[in-house]
Amino acid sequence: MADEFAPSWEDVAHRYGRKIYNFAYRLTGNPDDAADLVQEVLLRVRKGLSGYRPGSFEGWLWRITRNAFLDGVRRQGRRPESALPEGDHHDLGSSPSPDEVLASVRLSDDVQAALLKLPYAFREAVVLCDVVGLSYEEIADATDIPVGTVRSRIHRGRNMLRELLTWPV
Amino acid sequence: MAGVNPLSYRREELFSAFLDGELTEKEADLVVELLEADREANDEFRGIQQVRRALRLLPELEIPGWLLPDGHLGDRLSAYLDGELSTAEQRRVSDHVVACADCRGELHDLDRARTAIRSLPNVDTGQLDRVPAPTAFPRRRVAVAGSIGIAAAAALFFVLALGGDPQPAFSLDDLGSHHIARASAEPGFAVFPPVVDSSP
Repeated sequence: MADEFAPSWEDVAHRYGRKIYNFAYRLTGNPDDAADLVQEVLLRVRKGLSGYRPGSFEGWLWRITRNAFLDGVRRQGRRPESALPEGDHHDLGSSPSPDEVLASVRLSDDVQAALLKLPYAFREAVVLCDVVGLSYEEIADATDIPVGTVRSRIHRGRNMLRELLTWPV
Repeated sequence: MAGVNPLSYRREELFSAFLDGELTEKEADLVVELLEADREANDEFRGIQQVRRALRLLPELEIPGWLLPDGHLGDRLSAYLDGELSTAEQRRVSDHVVACADCRGELHDLDRARTAIRSLPNVDTGQLDRVPAPTAFPRRRVAVAGSIGIAAAAALFFVLALGGDPQPAFSLDDLGSHHIARASAEPGFAVFPPVVDSSP
């Protein structure tokens, strides 16, 4: 949907900062990288707002976010397929232990660890859909790929996660 | 189920879009048809459903407040002064300080407090034998660094100067706080207060 007005930089920070932070955290598993990305995106938004023309503001914002993320990855000279952070391995793919008391806590760690194992294109599609909450069309707009490809990536990404994760009975 | 798949993709690929409400009616009918006919497809569908639910249940993390326009740096400022932040964090803090007058002022105050505290003379440990063991006060950590340093020291000074316990018995930790509070306020202040004999 086309937006009538572009919000101010402060509005963007308050309204979308948390989403951007979560997007980056789920892609990298690293709070420092997530904070870096938020700063970089807000900086780019601040610079870019004057040139923004009414249209899909969210599409514009997520394109900036994604580009900032990929630029950051390139600058750091690493591939977006980050290694698992230390201490975040929970026997992915193996049988669950009999003691499932902490299952709910571990579950989010497991999901995060499994996410980091996905190739970037699939991880990005899944995170934009399930964490950020964008529609397929919005994801296509933000990532500049056809909707059919988005659909396929989301499904394949979830399917890979299904194979990586084992669920408590 | 054997047969030619007229689609350019596995029909199972529609499961995610089905769950996300992103299919046309015709495509959704295909999924329903498949689920009615194929048990294996049902397993895959349930698996996708679980994954989708788990992803959507991932906790939404709070963004650190200092990243927001009206957020402040808090205890990061002390860590910044002490060089205890990563390079990336240091850069973020300095960017924020440039833009935020409140944090700039706090950083300035903290820096002065830190310099004052660090310029205090060393305690002559030879005199520690004369300090009686703590009796009345519980042990406390000497909390002098960080953003509460000056406020805590000033408050302690008032308590001590305006009559706290009439028979102060200084624990080593209290001695440290006392020393810093008095030394901050009175440049000529002696390192040790007179020893009070607390024995009966």
